[in-house]
Amino acid sequence: MTIKYAHKPNTVEDAIELLNQYKEKGKIIAGGTDLVIEIKNRKTDFEALIDVSSIEEMSFVTVEGDIVEIGAATTFTEIVESDLLGNRLAGLKEAAHSIGSPQIRNKGTIGGNICNGSPAADIVPPLLVLDAVAVIRSKTGEREVLVEKFFVDKGKVALKDDELLVSIKFKKPSPNQVLSFSKLGLRKALAISRICTSVFVEFDTNDSCKEIRIANGSLGRFGMREREVEEYFEGKQLTEEIIEDGLKLMQKKVAERLAGRSTVEFKSTAIKGVLRSALKNAFNQNV
Amino acid sequence: MKKIELKVNGKIHSIDIEEDMRLIDVLRDKLGLLGTKEGCGEGECGACTIIMDGETVASCLVMAFQAEGKEILTIEGLGDEENLDPIQQAFLDEGAVQCGFCIPGMVLSAKALLDKKESPNRDEIKEAISGNLCRCTGYHKIVNAVEKAANDLQGGK
Repeated sequence: MTIKYAHKPNTVEDAIELLNQYKEKGKIIAGGTDLVIEIKNRKTDFEALIDVSSIEEMSFVTVEGDIVEIGAATTFTEIVESDLLGNRLAGLKEAAHSIGSPQIRNKGTIGGNICNGSPAADIVPPLLVLDAVAVIRSKTGEREVLVEKFFVDKGKVALKDDELLVSIKFKKPSPNQVLSFSKLGLRKALAISRICTSVFVEFDTNDSCKEIRIANGSLGRFGMREREVEEYFEGKQLTEEIIEDGLKLMQKKVAERLAGRSTVEFKSTAIKGVLRSALKNAFNQNV
Repeated sequence: MKKIELKVNGKIHSIDIEEDMRLIDVLRDKLGLLGTKEGCGEGECGACTIIMDGETVASCLVMAFQAEGKEILTIEGLGDEENLDPIQQAFLDEGAVQCGFCIPGMVLSAKALLDKKESPNRDEIKEAISGNLCRCTGYHKIVNAVEKAANDLQGGK
């Protein structure tokens, strides 16, 4: 399908109006760092582009009370440079900083990273462990859905034709909670994750994990939580023996999930190092 | 077909574009600004780097209509043969240019950095040009050139 229409609305309301007008023939474009390549390669099934990258009310980071909210059109550079996301959210900034190159981070957005539904989306594991919620608006109103429930399949998210992802919300970590991130890419800049991992820990007074949440990217059809491994670590101190046993469990889970794929041996081994470094980062950040 | 106004190198152009045109296509094919190169066409190589509203972007990953209302700077807006920008001069002085294909993007990444930070250290320079691939130089002379440019821009020689 050739692209016949290109719109650049200034408000969320106008963008939703356009989505309503074009329905399945309309496509939201934000940073365009993935979509423009598809357009160039003529792999498109829409006839109207609706650009949300200039909508100011979709580009912000705010903290109100204990809720952090990030507009869907906020770029990775803006996330990295935001003063409102403190040390306890270092994992989110590191994930944003690990993406692409300066040129990509200046354009790519948090909303685009989510809506693309890529298994390797780096911003997704931190959002999964933060229990983040996606705020979705349409003509009929607003709904919120857990980011975890938003992923349907590789490249497919639970967004209807007339809906727009406007922001992401999550609870600000309290002083005994930290968020960490670790990524395995094949080079320093411009690397697509082979594995990316995020860990959220609430430490008890004796340094044990009162609550722990772990999520991986590039180890399934989309980023996902690793609940069995979380359960293993819960209530335990992160001693070398405990970490080693937890990593073995993680390895087993990944080997089961990727069974039959050429990458299974590499990824099920490599996850141990990536998760170890994410756990170590979390422990070191908790000061 | 759609008419847009594009501000490039300080000048406003009124241009007819196709809805599926990328910014790089407009810069090169409509405005004849051939300093912006297309390498990979996928945002990996940085040869198409331009500065948009003060930030480097890959012009192969921006749709032309998205750029309406933005300030665009290409390499042609920086200096010319008679009047080189200090960054361009530093690249020549340090022998940082070999085949030259990556250089327009490389110079603009350096400019975006130096506009924000007067005296970046070598790690910051490497980070700023991490999205610009060069297959000739091995990068050392480029990093030297950006360091020299920073120094020159502050009046040092």
